[in-house]
Amino acid sequence: MNARFVAVVLLLYASALVQAAKPAGAAAGDFGPPRGAPIRAVLTSPPHVPPPLSRKFPAKVIVELEVIEKEMQISEGVNYTFWTFGGTVPGSFIRVRQGDTVEFHLKNHPSSKMPHNIDLHGVTGPGGGAASSFTAPGHESQFTFKALNEGIYVYHCATAPVGMHVANGMYGLILVEPPQGLPKVDHEFYVMQGDFYTTGKYREKGNQPFDMEKAIAEQPTYVVFNGAEGSLTGDKAMKVKTNQTVRLFVGNGGPNLVSSFHVIGAIFDKVRFEGGTNAQTNVQTTLIPAGGAAIAEFRTRVPGSYVLVDHSIFRAFNKGALAILKVDGPENKAIYSGKELDSVYLGDRAGPNLAAVTRATESQARGALTLEDQVHAGRQLFAGTCSVCHQANGAGLAGVFPPLAKSDYLAADIKRSLGAVLHGLSGKVTVNGQEYNSVMPPMNQLNDDEVAHIMTYVLNSWGNPGGRVTADDVKVQRAATPAAKPATH
Amino acid sequence: MRCSIPPWPALLVCSASVWAAGDYVAVPGGRFESALPQGPVSSISTPVAIAPFQLRAEPVTNAEFLAFVRSHSDWQRGRTPALFADARYLLDWKAPLQPGAADAAPVVNVSWFAARAFCESEGARLPTWLEWEYAAAADETRQDARRDPRWRQRILSWYARPGNTPLAAVGGAANRFGVQDLHGLVWEWVDDFNALFIAGDSRTQGDPDLLKFCGAGAISVIDRDSYAVLMRIALLSSLAAADSTGNLGFRCARSVDGDLP
Amino acid sequence: MSRFQMSRRQSLQWLGLAFATSAMATELPGDSVYQLRVPLTDQHGRPFDWASLRGQPVLASMFYSSCDKVCPMIFETLHLTLKALPARERAPVKVLMISFDPTRDTVPVLQRTAQAHACDERWTLARTDEASTRKIAAALGVQYRRLSNGEFNHSSTLLMLDLQGRIAAHSGSLGSVDAALLKALHHV
Repeated sequence: MNARFVAVVLLLYASALVQAAKPAGAAAGDFGPPRGAPIRAVLTSPPHVPPPLSRKFPAKVIVELEVIEKEMQISEGVNYTFWTFGGTVPGSFIRVRQGDTVEFHLKNHPSSKMPHNIDLHGVTGPGGGAASSFTAPGHESQFTFKALNEGIYVYHCATAPVGMHVANGMYGLILVEPPQGLPKVDHEFYVMQGDFYTTGKYREKGNQPFDMEKAIAEQPTYVVFNGAEGSLTGDKAMKVKTNQTVRLFVGNGGPNLVSSFHVIGAIFDKVRFEGGTNAQTNVQTTLIPAGGAAIAEFRTRVPGSYVLVDHSIFRAFNKGALAILKVDGPENKAIYSGKELDSVYLGDRAGPNLAAVTRATESQARGALTLEDQVHAGRQLFAGTCSVCHQANGAGLAGVFPPLAKSDYLAADIKRSLGAVLHGLSGKVTVNGQEYNSVMPPMNQLNDDEVAHIMTYVLNSWGNPGGRVTADDVKVQRAATPAAKPATH
Repeated sequence: MRCSIPPWPALLVCSASVWAAGDYVAVPGGRFESALPQGPVSSISTPVAIAPFQLRAEPVTNAEFLAFVRSHSDWQRGRTPALFADARYLLDWKAPLQPGAADAAPVVNVSWFAARAFCESEGARLPTWLEWEYAAAADETRQDARRDPRWRQRILSWYARPGNTPLAAVGGAANRFGVQDLHGLVWEWVDDFNALFIAGDSRTQGDPDLLKFCGAGAISVIDRDSYAVLMRIALLSSLAAADSTGNLGFRCARSVDGDLP
Repeated sequence: MSRFQMSRRQSLQWLGLAFATSAMATELPGDSVYQLRVPLTDQHGRPFDWASLRGQPVLASMFYSSCDKVCPMIFETLHLTLKALPARERAPVKVLMISFDPTRDTVPVLQRTAQAHACDERWTLARTDEASTRKIAAALGVQYRRLSNGEFNHSSTLLMLDLQGRIAAHSGSLGSVDAALLKALHHV
């Protein structure tokens, strides 16, 4: 019996007491009735996030969100009628604490053409609130829910046709903080990707209406962060300093596309993938589903412009899925030096060009294979295979690999040389007055045509007697002698 | 009242007739497949017979509505009980007897009760949803253009424009039935607007709460591609009878045989 | 008694009439449903002016007699709600049921339906013409549509009208008593 055992028992007992303190049947995340005076939630426009909550108890939080249909630029010179929560795409960021009782007021501006409602993914209840918030233009709906689950959640309009409402920008994020709050960071930002469908082409100027057919076919014209191309670039880029911690709340409103979210030049130290409770570390690119969100954190170390992209890369460069985080501060050469050297690189011979081989094959198929065809093809095939040992000029290596150039061994008996290619050769040989005692492996990787072309090339090169070897010759020779062991390296 | 100067220079003739917008056109009857289920099974389209009826060629204009409230003072802004018209009634008018927009623009910010009263005053009624849908299915050349993606796209483009721009005057191109401005100008009241109950959350189609509407869940739209129709139904079903919006007007209909369809 | 003197009974009647007319003389609030004048006929075949319910709390709903799904539950829920009231609060409450289906819900049918659901004198089952039915539903916030087979889809809203005919509470729950209705009746 030791102290550790006693400590564990005490700990278990204490946690059992804590559990028992919850009323029977209470859901996890239900910390009891709201306490204190009702609080009006602070909502922010993207890319800003409301400040962290420091409350230690559940409260009644009043959220007032207004739907406004308004025309804004989606790209330079391109106007689009967005339907917005709070006048922005994405809509206002909502921040509450787990266990809060949220009294939600949804207003629909009188100038709206359409009725709207809201489905918050953090709500446990029918339609996520959509059933209780269907609001005509010039009206206000109210419903109340308890935020039982902590996490980062998407909200969006769910009025028919839902796809069109979402495609027009009716989405945003609601953060339900855990009771102890999130770990402190230097900067928090709100970024949300969305795909947009217009009848005109990408960057076609003027007022562009929504295109239902393209939306159904899932062929977006624009894929952007925060509702417009360039919403977070240039002087609107997010700005931080070196050696600061950054937390990105990244959502994906869709309506269709999944995002492969990546920050060029940064690695996420921590990603709460899918916005859930578990986190992955050391992540380059994280998937954010349509109608989903994630929290990505990293520390800045080196100054520069870090580009947020959807790494389905044509979306970044041809549809606008690009945002900038500008990091200012002193250089840190130990981590990233920048360009150190710029010198000439000659490169090796170009990789084997086997065009002549193809030509030879075609000629053969036509029954019109000429000696010249074979020599050209053989030259290309020789390089990189035979030339490795026998050298490109057939000179061989003195005392190690016999020459092929003006070879008396070859001239004396072509069939014998052909046999060496096919079956290998080991033991003492004398070529051009020199003795060689090596092992030549059988060239089993070459087929009959290739052997024929190579042999023909060798015979017609470097002072050799000339002549021709055909594929049939090779076939006969191959069959005559049993196959040797394959070449090993 | 409209005054016009005829060729005879000495006379200024004022006629009390409302202008051409008050004309009715005859819409022939026919078999029609509504986007809304008409039979007991909500996923099957039951064609219905639309009896011939008369429909105003144009929505009711500000000028016409002004004439109406002049002669029916109960319906002037400020005098109408809250049951019949809410605080937004004729909100855009500068005064109870002074429209805020052009005479020839469609009157908006009118409640269902007010629209009904106007139609009753000229011996007419509001069209039913089916009559409206039937007349609106036509484009310039065809009686039923609903399958044409271009027809749909044209309508969706109007929905996509913001609602706070001044309304154009009535007088758009006539469709095959001779009716104008059924699309692209204003939403319009129908007689049975409270028969169009889609669920507040439209994704619950196919998952009916059978008790909610006595034997049916909220209506599911049969043709999911009829976005144009769907959005119109969504708007109308979000309203109560005393409501009005800045984009909602109306036109009147008459039965050919005198009874309600 | 000289003819210039009224009996106690007569003077009481005159007082009552004076009071009633003065009550009528106070204007009906703008959001009272009784602003809508509709020609209703009750289950006894008598013309019924729903504004005559003014001064009493009313539980109201809409139904049709051949409805076998939800409408019977509306009747049951109203009975339950009445039973849940303390006797003092229950006494003045009237119940008004208006039919969606005047074509088939003739006076004899209404009579039969009232009997089938044990409706006593506090209940009025009424019908009117199609146009007025639509207006009543619009005023009460009830939705309904007729199907091609003659059946109706309709919402099952129970309403509580206060002494002036304003909608004080409404409930969609069937089969159980809604506390919101009880509370409204208590506070009337």
